Amino acid sequence: MIIRTEDLSVYYGYKNILKDVNVTFEKNKITAIIGPSGCGKTTFLKSLNRTIEEYGGKTEGNIYLNNEDIMNIPVQKLRNRIGMVFQTPVVFPFSIYKNMTYAPIYYGERNSQKLKETALKYLKIAGLYEEVKGDLDMQATKLSGGQQQRLVIARCLTVNPEVILLDEPCSALDIKNTANIESMLLELKKDYTIIIVTHNLAQAKRIADYVIYMEDGTVVEMGKTDDIFDCPLDSRTKEYITYMKN
Amino acid sequence: MKDLKENIFRTIITIGAVLSGILVLLVFFYILKESIPFFREVSYKEYLFSSSWRPLSTNPAYSFLPMISATLYVSFLAILIATPLSVGCGLFLSFNTSKKSSRIILSFIDMIAGIPSVIFGFLGLVLLVKFLERNLDMVSGESVLAGALLLSVMLFPYIVTGCTETFMKAKDIYYGASQSLGVSKWYTMRRIILPFARKSIFVNMILALGRAIGETMAVMMVTGNSPIFPKLLGRAETIPSLIALEMGTATYKSLHYSSLYAAGLILIILVLIIQVIAYMINKAGMRRIG
Amino acid sequence: MRAKELMFKFWVILSGIIITVITFGLFLYILYKGIGVVTPEFIIGSPKGIPLGTQGGVFPAIMGSILSGLISGILGGVLGLCTAIYLNYYCKNEIIRKYILNALQCLAGIPSVVIGLFGYTFLVVGLGISKSLLSASITLTVMIIPFISIRMKKALEETSKEQYISSLSLGIPKGYTIVKLIIPSAFKYIMTSLGLGTVFAMGATAPIMYTGVVIVSGVPGKLTDPFMALPYHLYILVNEGLSVEMAYGTAFVLIVIVLFINIACHFTGKNEDV
Repeated sequence: MIIRTEDLSVYYGYKNILKDVNVTFEKNKITAIIGPSGCGKTTFLKSLNRTIEEYGGKTEGNIYLNNEDIMNIPVQKLRNRIGMVFQTPVVFPFSIYKNMTYAPIYYGERNSQKLKETALKYLKIAGLYEEVKGDLDMQATKLSGGQQQRLVIARCLTVNPEVILLDEPCSALDIKNTANIESMLLELKKDYTIIIVTHNLAQAKRIADYVIYMEDGTVVEMGKTDDIFDCPLDSRTKEYITYMKN
Repeated sequence: MKDLKENIFRTIITIGAVLSGILVLLVFFYILKESIPFFREVSYKEYLFSSSWRPLSTNPAYSFLPMISATLYVSFLAILIATPLSVGCGLFLSFNTSKKSSRIILSFIDMIAGIPSVIFGFLGLVLLVKFLERNLDMVSGESVLAGALLLSVMLFPYIVTGCTETFMKAKDIYYGASQSLGVSKWYTMRRIILPFARKSIFVNMILALGRAIGETMAVMMVTGNSPIFPKLLGRAETIPSLIALEMGTATYKSLHYSSLYAAGLILIILVLIIQVIAYMINKAGMRRIG
Repeated sequence: MRAKELMFKFWVILSGIIITVITFGLFLYILYKGIGVVTPEFIIGSPKGIPLGTQGGVFPAIMGSILSGLISGILGGVLGLCTAIYLNYYCKNEIIRKYILNALQCLAGIPSVVIGLFGYTFLVVGLGISKSLLSASITLTVMIIPFISIRMKKALEETSKEQYISSLSLGIPKGYTIVKLIIPSAFKYIMTSLGLGTVFAMGATAPIMYTGVVIVSGVPGKLTDPFMALPYHLYILVNEGLSVEMAYGTAFVLIVIVLFINIACHFTGKNEDV
């Protein structure tokens, strides 16, 4: 168990978006969060690395990372340990190479040989290296959507996070790119813990070890993927799954 | 080390922001402070409702009424001239020219806003004033009319740009649907696009009015600058001209000096009222759409 | 019905043509009338003749305008950028944010002549700084701070919030993110705001009339020297009826500088969209 939340609630002003969420995430597993739009999935994700505060959200309750309250971890250190990938690929408007070295340079790496090694290593892991090895100095915005998303994931890996949060990373991509990213995630879970929000139930079924079903800011049910899909305990989960299937 | 850098950066940014804030507040407070002696000394009956401005006479009189009327006269007239032309031009650029040429024309119209107003004053003097003298049989062409005509040209960019934006938006939403009913392009513009943009046209008009009221150099150079009640073909002096012309001669801390600040304050209040009206209309419009 | 539509058509086309013709006419007229006057001697010479200004050139005025534009552009740019960054990224209190924004909005609406009045009595008469490049530039800075801050704030908002959060999610703090990511991403828009603000300052007459500009002087050597400026020089030439021909030349130079910066800003702004 790497992350545990304890009565986590989130407010925007007076609006209560998340209500008393108690969940746990296992190390080196993929956990998928599913549920109808507006149920608080993204808010939940953002509260795990405290970026929710940048949007003006207030949290109550506790979140533990390896049994340490995240409020006791300096916020940068926390975000360094829990990386995040958005729905639309957010590449920085620099070259591919600069995207990859942006964070390592901040963390003090000045040796250009080492920087290059790091950049190439993670580009390879993200399966992007073969496609872009000729022109690392190309503007990253010129890559295709799928390539951009893989670059973003690779960039996220350059800081060596323990957990990667992904917010519907494939919803803007076609089938082939989606498959690429899914196989990459399955590969990555050997070294990282992955939490992914998705609308695509088939995707959750294909890659996730655990599934959390959320509705209206609360967690309805969580369990092993097969259990949730085959014999959900709660009628609301069942309804949603049947509804999405048709 | 890294934390130190962060803190230094945050401090610099905060100092800069605070400095800007202080400057802004300083201007406001200074204007307020310097105009107080005037308001204490001179009754509102005199400065708002009497008719004569002679601060340097042995029997001084301080009435802003001629200048306020001149300012409003010139500005409203300019708006009345500029608005129909600008709205028509906006429609023309949205519906009757190719995208590319309308973009080029628009960016040039936009650049008018960047031309220093003294250049307008110069052109107004050598072209407009001379033209009025020749054609309207005036002794001197320097007049309210000259000021308003000149100012209306300077306001084109403010109204045209805003209106065209709205027209383009309305075109995107309604044009296809309306065309599919088989009515003419002109009919669509008249019956759908214009009513849709009514509020936006009004807001742009008001914002342009705020801009017009504060204009100094151009108006000053073509209106003749006599502190008398304005007539269309006669000379007049607006509040900004008054301030610009007399600030050099007023003795520091005299009543005359304070009166100029009071004039400035009245000008600011006029502009603020206009901005607030525009803001409120805008907000009401937002609510309706949202 | 038909008559109405015809009238409508007539109105739209006529106003379209009138405004377009006036717009292009303005620029072409100044350029046409001025180009004959503008010789190398006009550009690099000083005002000569009796009265001064009827012959010779406008070099001190060009330099004065560029210097005062540059100083107030830099001062206003730095303060404006700080204000914009503070408002967008550091100001936690929503109410303070709103107040600052409203105050800036108000100051933007204050006519430049009132700012000139403030500069004259506060800086020159009150604080006793002489009529100089320094007091004029400070006055211009006050005038362009709201103009620049509001535009730079918009420029920063053009960069997506997700980009900012993405960088924070890598464990990188705000300041580094702003310097290394946000400002480079918005660089062109920031420069555009700066350019337009500088042009605004260079073209202004009323704020400098009593704070630093004089009818004739050399190129200012120090901050405390009075200086000549193109707009004021033009005003004097016209208002004192010195020389219409020289006025066309001066207007030509002024408009070329303004157009050049405007077009440069316009096109850099465009590239970003593509």
